Amino acid sequence: MTKPRAGVSGARDRGADDVRLDPRLLWALAAASTAIGLGLVPLLATADYLPDRALWIVLDVVIGAGFTAVGVFAWYRRPDNRVGALMVMTAFAWYGVVASVTEPSLLWTLGQVLSNLFVATAIHLLLAFPSGRLETAVDRVLVAVGYLATTVLWLPFVLFTDPAEFECGADCPENLLLIDANSGFRDAWLDGLGVLGIVVLLSVTARLVQRWRGASAPLRRAVTPVFLAGGALMLAIAALLAAGLLERESVSMNFFYAGAIAFGLVPYFFLAGLVRGRWIRGRGLGTLISRLGQAPRAGGLREELARALGDPSVELAYWLPDPGQYVNAEGRPVEVPPPGAGRAVTEVERDGRHIAAILHDPALLEDPEQVRAAGAAAALALENERLDAELRAKVDQLSASRARIVESGYVARRRLERDLHDGAQQRLVSLALSLRILRSKVEDDPDAVRELDSARSELDQALDELRELARGIHPSVLTDRGLDAALDGLARRAPLPVEVEQTPPERLPDRVESAAYFVVSEALTNVAKYARATHASVNVERGDGLVLVEVTDDGVGGADPATGSGLRGLLDRVSAVGGRLEVRSLPGQGTTIRAAIPCD
Amino acid sequence: MSVLIVDDHAGFRAHARRLLEFEGYRVVGEAADSASGLEAARELKPELVLVDVHLPDADGFQLTSWLGALSDPPAVVLTSSRDGAELAACVSECGARGFVPKAELSREAIDGLLR
Repeated sequence: MTKPRAGVSGARDRGADDVRLDPRLLWALAAASTAIGLGLVPLLATADYLPDRALWIVLDVVIGAGFTAVGVFAWYRRPDNRVGALMVMTAFAWYGVVASVTEPSLLWTLGQVLSNLFVATAIHLLLAFPSGRLETAVDRVLVAVGYLATTVLWLPFVLFTDPAEFECGADCPENLLLIDANSGFRDAWLDGLGVLGIVVLLSVTARLVQRWRGASAPLRRAVTPVFLAGGALMLAIAALLAAGLLERESVSMNFFYAGAIAFGLVPYFFLAGLVRGRWIRGRGLGTLISRLGQAPRAGGLREELARALGDPSVELAYWLPDPGQYVNAEGRPVEVPPPGAGRAVTEVERDGRHIAAILHDPALLEDPEQVRAAGAAAALALENERLDAELRAKVDQLSASRARIVESGYVARRRLERDLHDGAQQRLVSLALSLRILRSKVEDDPDAVRELDSARSELDQALDELRELARGIHPSVLTDRGLDAALDGLARRAPLPVEVEQTPPERLPDRVESAAYFVVSEALTNVAKYARATHASVNVERGDGLVLVEVTDDGVGGADPATGSGLRGLLDRVSAVGGRLEVRSLPGQGTTIRAAIPCD
Repeated sequence: MSVLIVDDHAGFRAHARRLLEFEGYRVVGEAADSASGLEAARELKPELVLVDVHLPDADGFQLTSWLGALSDPPAVVLTSSRDGAELAACVSECGARGFVPKAELSREAIDGLLR
């Protein structure tokens, strides 16, 4: 029984396994948050000066519990991703706002100091969502300004505000940090801070829109609800600040409530996104498994995985251990991008052997187990496709090496022919010329003349045989004068009338000319030997990446490549250059040999 | 008759010169490739040029065409130790008087072509 396993590659992802998180810390945080959230409930209920007490209690509990629970869950699932921690931090910051509307002076004062911090953590959370990292310098600046504005720059407001100003009568809490109730300085400071806040909040909103537009389909699915809710909070707080600047205090609390309610939805949307993605992919996984059972057509696996993972950009790369490289389904080498190159790589293993890599959108790493599960489910099918790809790569290698062998054979034969021509042939020719001079010199001696004529006749025969041998090794006229002249020569040498109808006017690659020549030469030899023909014709045409060579005779027909070694050799020679050979030879109807040779 | 021999094989040039001179021709020069062959023909103005088909730069057919374009063109006879039949079409096209296989070179064969 096979035991498919899958792993995720890349240093960035391996880091996930290295982050050790003590679950007791998470339990302690959850308990503390629950205690604070619930502890604030009676204090809100008894804050007599506070309108909308019931709404405050609901917001306290729902927002605090939501951010805490979902944050702790996300933190536990992905300890390497800061989103969980940011959500928990936001929950605690939120309790600052809640504390700022209670009556006990210490709590009220502390709440005032912390009352805007949740906006900064919300900005941090939104800009870092979903990877947990702030991707650009602009994001980092916005987050830094957010923290600065809600802490250090906010503090003067607390130091110069006396709560007695706000019509809370006798129940007013006391500001323990009050230095001086200087409303003139305080309001001027607050106006400046309000302008800064509006700029930051609108910039954050613009960044969210920009990031949403640039997101891939799977990433967009994950971020849309969270960005919508967060964007609503940003705009609501900006409206609140604008109302403050225009001294329309009466409407400002409504903006605050609207923003807070939208904000409260963020953790629930985040959770829904996780569940929905898992559900969609889970369903996709089920479909994948059932479709894999029906043996997808070659290359169809990629589409099945793309559908199952909801990521149309999925690519598959199969690992060939022998050359040690990745290839695609066609067996062609492919590059697998290094970590951080905008693509995520999930490696798939089977029986402990690395077999393939799934290249996908990094957004899927939000739930890496889904990709692993899909890879594991498809491991057997991936192994099958890998074997197909390996076979294709081997076929490619073989035809490449066959082409190299053909080429080197061609070069070697050409050199051999030249060596014969320049060496033995020239010496014998010189010898023939010497014999001729000698013969003239001994003309008066009939015995000597007879001996010399006999030697000369032997020499001529040797020269003929050598010439035939050299021509059989390589026809130099082909290299020197091209296919047209070479075929013309073949036609002249043939013992029957041969018409060369047409040949391409331009020179063709050596291997093509050589194969075409060989086809005509071999075909005409066969015609002379077996066909009992009265006439033959040769035609060479170029068309659509091919050179078509056709030799036709009017002889007896009946030639069969399966029996004749000449035709068999022709077939091998043509297929060695990637071509095809066709023999049509019905008894009594002549023979047509047609070769199609690839030629770009 | 004055003859220029153009062939890249020094051994053949030497034997051809001995034979042709023995048989009564006046060999006025030798050249090893087309460029120096053309140069020698301009300078020496031979009546006949014996040209090897295969030369290291431009081939013998090309040289024959160039020689034919000279102001006082010499007669050209092509020669080769390769098969003459395959070259027949080229021989007549380029303006040579004819073709003699190297082993059959003789005054008799050349006179036959020039007649």
